[in-house]
Amino acid sequence: MLQHKDGSVQNHQHGWEPYVDNGGTSLAIAGEDFCVIASDTRQSEGYSINTRFDPKIHKITDKIMLATTGYSADAKRLTEVIKMQTERYFYKHEKNMESHAAAQMLSVILYQKRFFPYYVFPILAGIDNEGKGCVYSYDPVGNMERVTFQVYGSASGMIQPFLDSQVGFKNQQNVDKTRLLTKEEAISIAVDSFTAATERDIYTGDYLEIYIVDANGIHREQKPLKFD
Amino acid sequence: MNGISSFEHPNSTVTADGTYKHTTSPIVTGTSVLALKYKDGVMLTADCLASYGSLARFRNVERLHPVGKNTIIGASGDMSDFQHVQNQLNGLMLSEHVTDDDQVLGTKSIYKYLSNIMYNRRSKVNPLWNKFIVAGLEDGESFLGFVDLYGTTYKSPVMATGFGAHIALPILRKYAEARCDTLTEEEAIEILDNCMRVLYYRDARSFNKIQRAKVTASGIEITAPYSLETNWDFAESIIGYGA
Amino acid sequence: MSYNGTAIVAMTGKNCVAIAADKRLGQQFLTVDMDFQKIFPITKKTYVGLPGLATDVQTLYKSNMYRLNEQRDIEPKAFAHMVSSTLYEKRFGPYYIEPIVAGLDKNNNPYICGMDLLGCMDVAHDFIVAGSADENLKGMCENLWEADLEPEDLFETISQALLNAVDRDALSGWGGVVHIITPNEVITRHLKARMD
Repeated sequence: MLQHKDGSVQNHQHGWEPYVDNGGTSLAIAGEDFCVIASDTRQSEGYSINTRFDPKIHKITDKIMLATTGYSADAKRLTEVIKMQTERYFYKHEKNMESHAAAQMLSVILYQKRFFPYYVFPILAGIDNEGKGCVYSYDPVGNMERVTFQVYGSASGMIQPFLDSQVGFKNQQNVDKTRLLTKEEAISIAVDSFTAATERDIYTGDYLEIYIVDANGIHREQKPLKFD
Repeated sequence: MNGISSFEHPNSTVTADGTYKHTTSPIVTGTSVLALKYKDGVMLTADCLASYGSLARFRNVERLHPVGKNTIIGASGDMSDFQHVQNQLNGLMLSEHVTDDDQVLGTKSIYKYLSNIMYNRRSKVNPLWNKFIVAGLEDGESFLGFVDLYGTTYKSPVMATGFGAHIALPILRKYAEARCDTLTEEEAIEILDNCMRVLYYRDARSFNKIQRAKVTASGIEITAPYSLETNWDFAESIIGYGA
Repeated sequence: MSYNGTAIVAMTGKNCVAIAADKRLGQQFLTVDMDFQKIFPITKKTYVGLPGLATDVQTLYKSNMYRLNEQRDIEPKAFAHMVSSTLYEKRFGPYYIEPIVAGLDKNNNPYICGMDLLGCMDVAHDFIVAGSADENLKGMCENLWEADLEPEDLFETISQALLNAVDRDALSGWGGVVHIITPNEVITRHLKARMD
């Protein structure tokens, strides 16, 4: 049943599902004054690979990137909506949106579609207003949390415990658990995560896109992953 | 019911109890469309059949449709939904034409417009049951884009819809994907014709009357329907389900 | 497969193998026992891990021990085939278990083998994972494991793999146990873990 704004009711008695899962994996790691965001570029549907290059990371402002996974069409529309809103903000205030404001806005945009959600698992990452690396992670209906690292997507089950261990220093003694990674460490862990995940997850592969956001701006790297 | 007339839902059927029935399955369908980028631009191909279930109902249908000066849309899936899209695009091109500014919409704009139509319809849970390939050439840059009933979009140097995504795409990836920049027109034709032949052998909803289209620097060219040479000698040796 | 919750992992090293498991027994999200045995010694150099439905864990273990009444040690490979056959006997009413066999053969070469619940064997040279945290374990092992680890390094590797994997799985954890099988001895250590 679908309720219209005028109160009338429409019956939908068919079985068509308006969602698909397009696979893929995205992660972000925050550092002291930088942020690393990485995604594979495969887009698939079922056992078919649609394309080997469909980037899931998008630039929102000079300091903020959005990484997505889930249903590609929703992810692209969500990205457009956020870009539109941040652009309007820029023209209205003559300054770029800060990351905490963009983060809250994303939460609201997601919750606005609470009863027909964007089937997207977004990670908003970049530099905050103090120049520190920041990662915000969400569920599809807008539940938000600021974290130091996050991974979402088809290989998240494999990568998240690895990040807990290597970035969060979990289950380790005599270490400083609040220590943040250096840029080189963060990139190397991101690369290792994806090369390992690509071995076992059929939905992750083709190319790895890595963005490094810091005071100098946004830097992009690309590496090949396995094509199988 | 409650003042909603079918006028507001031109693509839905009002049932006896006043509820609406949307497209839950395609009726008259077209099968695969194949496309690739090559040296001079883009090339795509599709057969001329529109099936009614397993019946080869309409055998002279054009599924490669030109839009504007340098764009072609290849359609598979429901043919009535395709015609609806054609009408909408005609309307779009007309409303652009009457501005009389000598500007014609380019491939990327048409692709974005079509993608939005598809995504907006899926968001009303009333999809247009198609998979489209949009092909074109703009400022010397070739373009191949895909959009389906979910509003899912992607770009790729080779692509195929429907059965072709399973049978022809591996062939296209092997012989075309890595060398799209150097592929000559003759080679592109040979690869696509071979793919269509394989599909004709294996896809029960295919037809040996096909069209090919290309977009190059000199514009759109769509061939007249033609047939491929086939050889069914191997069928003599097949006993039972074959091997 | 995820009614009681399990995480079991086996790894090969240089002339040694390791097998580790968590200790939780639950009924869905309710934890019932925090010291439940899931790994069982078969011979001095062969262990079996039985992840899956707890009632079948104990039934399968007993039925296999009964068959082993031969007054001699069985090779890990032979034992794995025996477990596989036991499972396949119940092809159309299976035990809900995905066993892992780990051991050293008579030449002290490592042998590890996983199975699905029907007995389809998967003999690996690196690692085998199973249970409700299998994906987590897979990710950890794929990253941490390397060839020819010495017993103490293998212990550290498998322990880290297990601990970090179960901390991201609600159904397994609550402590762990690790057995390092070497030609001369089996080192058994119990791991403290998060109790949530």
